[in-house]
Amino acid sequence: MKKIKIAILLALLSTGFSACQDDLLDQPNPNTLTEQQFWKSESDAQQGINAAYAMFYKPGIWSRWMYFRLDLTSDEGFSKSPWIELGDWTRFQYINYNFWEGNSNTWRDTYKAIFRCNQVLDKVPGIQFTDSRKKDQILAQAKFLRALHYYYAAILWENVPLVLKTSTPEDLPKQNTLEEVWAQVIKDLTEASGALPGSWDDANVGRPTKGAAMALLGKVYMQQHDWQKAKSAFDYLVTGEGKGYYKLVDNFQDNFTHLNENNTESVFEIQFSDANKGADGDNTNASMGNTRAQFFAPRSIGWSDGQARNWIVAEFKKEKTADGKIDPRLRYTLFYPGLEADFGDKIYGRSWQWDADEAWFKKYSRDYYRNNEDYYSQVNERMIRYADILLLYAEALNELGQTGDAVKYVDMVRSRSKMLPLTTAYPETGTDKDKFRERLKIERELELCGESLRWVDLKRWGDLDVQSKVDVISQRDPDFKNFVPGKHNRLPIPQNEVENNINLKQNKGY
Amino acid sequence: MIQKHLPQKRGMIPSPHLLFRKRTEMFTHFLLLFFLFFSTVTLAQNTRISGKVTDKKGVPIPGVNVKIKGSSAGSATDADGIYSLNASRGGSSLVFSFVGYTSKEVPINGRTTIDVQLDEETTSLNEVVVVGYGTQQKKDLTGAVSVVKAADIQKRQATTVAEAMQGLATGVNIRGGGQPGSEANILIRGLKNLSGTNPLYVIDGLISTANRDFNPNDIESIQILKDASAAAIYGSRAANGVIIITTKKGKEGPMRIDFSGKSSLQTIPTYNLAGTDEFARLNNMAYDNAGVSRQKLDLTTNTDWQKEAFRTGSVNDYNLTFSGGSKDGSYLVSANYFGNKGTVISTKFDRYSLRVNTSGTKGIFRIGENIAISNSRSDEMSGNPIIDVVRLLPTIPVYNKANPGGYGYGDEAKARTFGTNPVAIADLEDRTNENLRIRGNLFSELQFLPYLKYRLNLGYETSSDHYSYLRKQGNWTLNQAFDPAIANENRATSSTQLIENTLSFNKVFKKHSLNIVAGQSYQKDEYAQINGTKRNLLVNPTGGYFNVLDQGNEPQTGGFKTRSDLISYFGRFEYNYDDRYLLNGVVRRDGTSRFGFGNQWGSYPSVSGAWKISNEKFFNSSWINDLKVRASYGTLGSSNIGPYDYIPLVNTFSTIAMGRDQHIESGATQVQLANTNLHWEKLIQQNYGFDASFLNHKLSLTAEYFIARTEDVLFGFPIAMTTGNDGGNPRVNGITLGNKGFEFTATYREDAGDFKYYATANLTTLNNNVISLGYNRNNTYVGNTVTQVGQPVGMWYVLQTDGIFQNADEVNSYKNAKGVTIQPNAKPGDIRFKDNNGDGQITNSDKVVVGSPWPNYEIGLNLGASYKGFDFSMNWFGAFGATVFNGPRSVMDRFDDNSNYRAGIQPWTPDNPNTNVPRAYYGTTLNSRGDTDRWLENGSFMRLKFVSIAYNIPKAIVNKIGFANAQISVSGQNLLTFTKYTGLDPEFLNASIFEKGYDYGAFPNVRMYSMGLQFGF
Repeated sequence: MKKIKIAILLALLSTGFSACQDDLLDQPNPNTLTEQQFWKSESDAQQGINAAYAMFYKPGIWSRWMYFRLDLTSDEGFSKSPWIELGDWTRFQYINYNFWEGNSNTWRDTYKAIFRCNQVLDKVPGIQFTDSRKKDQILAQAKFLRALHYYYAAILWENVPLVLKTSTPEDLPKQNTLEEVWAQVIKDLTEASGALPGSWDDANVGRPTKGAAMALLGKVYMQQHDWQKAKSAFDYLVTGEGKGYYKLVDNFQDNFTHLNENNTESVFEIQFSDANKGADGDNTNASMGNTRAQFFAPRSIGWSDGQARNWIVAEFKKEKTADGKIDPRLRYTLFYPGLEADFGDKIYGRSWQWDADEAWFKKYSRDYYRNNEDYYSQVNERMIRYADILLLYAEALNELGQTGDAVKYVDMVRSRSKMLPLTTAYPETGTDKDKFRERLKIERELELCGESLRWVDLKRWGDLDVQSKVDVISQRDPDFKNFVPGKHNRLPIPQNEVENNINLKQNKGY
Repeated sequence: MIQKHLPQKRGMIPSPHLLFRKRTEMFTHFLLLFFLFFSTVTLAQNTRISGKVTDKKGVPIPGVNVKIKGSSAGSATDADGIYSLNASRGGSSLVFSFVGYTSKEVPINGRTTIDVQLDEETTSLNEVVVVGYGTQQKKDLTGAVSVVKAADIQKRQATTVAEAMQGLATGVNIRGGGQPGSEANILIRGLKNLSGTNPLYVIDGLISTANRDFNPNDIESIQILKDASAAAIYGSRAANGVIIITTKKGKEGPMRIDFSGKSSLQTIPTYNLAGTDEFARLNNMAYDNAGVSRQKLDLTTNTDWQKEAFRTGSVNDYNLTFSGGSKDGSYLVSANYFGNKGTVISTKFDRYSLRVNTSGTKGIFRIGENIAISNSRSDEMSGNPIIDVVRLLPTIPVYNKANPGGYGYGDEAKARTFGTNPVAIADLEDRTNENLRIRGNLFSELQFLPYLKYRLNLGYETSSDHYSYLRKQGNWTLNQAFDPAIANENRATSSTQLIENTLSFNKVFKKHSLNIVAGQSYQKDEYAQINGTKRNLLVNPTGGYFNVLDQGNEPQTGGFKTRSDLISYFGRFEYNYDDRYLLNGVVRRDGTSRFGFGNQWGSYPSVSGAWKISNEKFFNSSWINDLKVRASYGTLGSSNIGPYDYIPLVNTFSTIAMGRDQHIESGATQVQLANTNLHWEKLIQQNYGFDASFLNHKLSLTAEYFIARTEDVLFGFPIAMTTGNDGGNPRVNGITLGNKGFEFTATYREDAGDFKYYATANLTTLNNNVISLGYNRNNTYVGNTVTQVGQPVGMWYVLQTDGIFQNADEVNSYKNAKGVTIQPNAKPGDIRFKDNNGDGQITNSDKVVVGSPWPNYEIGLNLGASYKGFDFSMNWFGAFGATVFNGPRSVMDRFDDNSNYRAGIQPWTPDNPNTNVPRAYYGTTLNSRGDTDRWLENGSFMRLKFVSIAYNIPKAIVNKIGFANAQISVSGQNLLTFTKYTGLDPEFLNASIFEKGYDYGAFPNVRMYSMGLQFGF
């Protein structure tokens, strides 16, 4: 009897079990949405594009290392970091191509950003919108952001693979040439500019406008020396239908503080914030701040990993304002030994205590209202500023042989800083294309120093292509003694990436 | 009718260790009495059977216990080996047993006279081995199983069982430990998958981990199931092998109280580093060579950072056990305190644990439980002092009032280094990790027929974890960003629930013996965590901060939970014909929630067999006592991944600032890629072995050869960064690995006389080989290693150095075939690299495979001797043939970046050209690049893991003070190491599978000097 009872019990136990076992094995993730549940609604689309903006806060790109690549590698900046390898990556001593802080992190975060854009571009078309214009604007933002990241990838590594679809783990994308990358950037920007508005409502200020797309498009053509197309793109902002949105602000300093952000001079800004104090990963409370100032602030204030070349101070002092004063832009561009004497400004509340031949970047520092820095600077990065566009417009006109027309755009920039008209100060520049170009290089330096443009300029000007020109640069920046034309114009691709993807070749010379 | 049956074998047969030690006359008498007691309980019936029991040579054996199987009726042989008893009708066979002889079961078949010959048993082969849902005699094993003696483990001073097992079992590689509360890593028979997971632990039938919360003093026995056929009954997750731990139970008799206490001192190995004078000379040389103006070194300071960061640690381990029982029940209560003050300042670990094991029998019903409660708390290490002591300069003072927080560290003018002050970080960052764990099981058994048993096993384990972190204000390194005081707390609960039903059938038909187990199990694992952080903590006027989350501002919270389920069905049969032919078969079917629909179920069969040649009639050897050959073939599955790895998820944590008002908006996107088609990883293993004993069982040998192949290994295989993936490489099935190995164990044992001794040597060779790689790649590169098809995992892939340029001529004449000067910018004293691809420059394409991080073979040597009351034992472990990367030396021997230097280092100078260290040059990584063979070293070593002398106080003395036994001992661990490796410890652990041989500054094994006291009454 007992045996039978037990047998029945066992049988019941096991059959009861079989019935519910499939339910038990189907355990949903209780923590977050699955990818399948997402990309269904307009709100999902908006969340998706927002996440793409969040990539600006990652250290591989715009919250840190991009400034090392663009500002310090150029002849404006250099590194005396006690972290030797970090310094080596600003002076063309690339030894370990996998060096995370110098190379791999930037590469990874670039593609991480592109992955987010690609998700929007692949998934949002399938979502129903009540207002199709809104959908087009979301897709246009994704295209703009993707173009922006490929633009900088092209500046840094040149021959990068174009990933244009949502990634899968097995992807080993093919390598593309620089020309192919530029073509893709142009395509994305052209499409984006068709759908982006001329301006956004207050709640959405900070998203790219049509003007931002046209400005970036112009920059791409500039790098390709396609001056006519560059001019046409810039026309929108300078003389065309977008003209009304842009105007230089009166106060030069307003371009580098958190006090007058998204102003009329801003063409495109990264919206930094100090609201979160977390780490830089993808966790809750992730930082939305910029760490540039913490890394570039002078010794004992910040990490002091990057500083400015002292020759810039001398360049500023070569020409006085119309009323015989020191160029006021110097005051907001650099910390230098004479700052307090020249303008009465201390540095983070201190008098000069650094070496006499040194200078430090002041733009985007917060010494205008505090005495220290941290990892959470809220100051928006003015990625594209109208003054830059005016000077590029002038450069394009000059290259097109319209030097005379170009002068007034340079003067618009100079006059804000009370500098004499260009042809008054340098009469020969009004007619001589070459002299104008050489002067424009200096005008760009004085206006835009420390704004991550110099490396791009040097490449465009061809100053890195031949040894003789590099020799000139190395007189003001000895790091360029290590520079080998044709090799160091671009970074090595991270070695692991080349090794693990049979479709990739290391850049020439590495 | 309630049937009496033999007590469980497990309880009856003393461990071989005890047999070996205490086979005294007294013990035999006691057994005799015990058996006589049984024999007097006779049944009222019936036929009388008699006979004579002799040994192989025909000599009568007195005192042999003779019983009718399945009843308590029995008798014993007299002085002439004669027995007689009344047999009930139901009884079908007689069981003859006597200590020192193999039990024999003889069918009655209506006979009234049954003469029997008993075989002498060998001590080591008579062990009972727990093989999962049952036991086997060691002599009947068909698979590869290692048994580790609990006594050997308990002799040592270790936080975890794993750490204590080092070198005690062949084919089991264990690394780690050293830090208070740290866990060790176990590899059984090499690298079978790439997740580096530890084997499955089964503690009293509960699937668990014998982590630091588990008290090693509670162990009764450990068996390690190494091949697929042995582990197959555990199916999934057994692919890395299974470690079965049985905890101690009370034994029949009055209450016994046992105490053991051990106290140890620990010391950490240290570097030989430069003092201020030597440092200044070298540092100035490096600056001078680079043409950089010298640092203004503070020559008045000479800090020995190792003295500041390290100290003599200590361990105290006290264990008290109360146990006893009757024939119907048993109990055991044990309490343990384990405290370890670490060898690094501000580190420690404390554990309190309590165990209660009981069981009781009434008729056919048996019930029991094993439960352990433990509370562990560790004060964790901050930073990595193993590297920090090198990175800091001797010219930096420990304290500097001018710095925030008051500690000395790098200085731009005087000491340019970003090294972390270990004293500062130990003070300014406080991390503690505490958990309360309850682990146990409740089982009941119904023996409803003599040969059929049902068992229900309910297991439960839960842990309540609490991590807390306090960041005090202040700095520990140069130019550090400002951080306010921060408090972070993290609380979590984990639980495992297990329900198992098993039926076992055990019957002998004439020469056929059959044992069948069938069962079903369900396991549920859950984990949930919440955490919170506050910044700008309130300062407590009495010192420190109010580090409760009530204070401070900028609150952050988080949390998550996971659950996974596993449903299994399994069965095993063991068939034994005439004690000559053994055949085992196992099948297990597992379903897991860790895979998507359609991939959840996997079935894993295995089969094994053995032939006891020495039991054949034709086998007649005077010097070979036992000989068994065996073979097995088995498959196992593994699903050792996260609970939701197959599901692509959306990360909803992005926030962005937007708009004129810079308001915050949220974002969501996929961050980590996932492979949705994940399925079971499969291990296929063949094992061939033999067991033999010679010379009257004095010498025993076991040898095994195995071939394992792991298919569809689940692993986060490196994927291209161009995918934009972040958060770890997604898991994928797709690597196939092969492992082949040979394991050999020989023991010689002399038990006669006052002087007893034994020596065991074991040898393991292992060869892993990548058969195919994920995503159909041919190779993958991680760090300085390459893993390619046809080669072992993680081979060193670096530039080769070729000495040092002695003069400019050597630089200029170093050309490739086309006459291109290969290193035109080199100066005398710089390293010459090999231009392996002949392109006239040194680039990454010149890298080649230069060595393997895997040892060719590992050996273990256990020696023991006893004379009267003295016991001596010693254990050596060695691994030979590995090439390892000395990470700390790559910091010490570089001059480009400031850190302290190796004492006595001789950088190249024109006056001192006979050196292998390039010229000292500050400011470029060229000579000190990390991806060269300059940092690779021979990692072979032989180490005295353990040595001990114990003295058993003579019984006469002990008894006078009322004790049953007492022992005092002194022992040492890691006292001697023979190696050419120049790092702190050649026996280091790197958890990265691809960089197993990279010593990143791993925490070394510490030396230990211990005193122990043990007594019972």
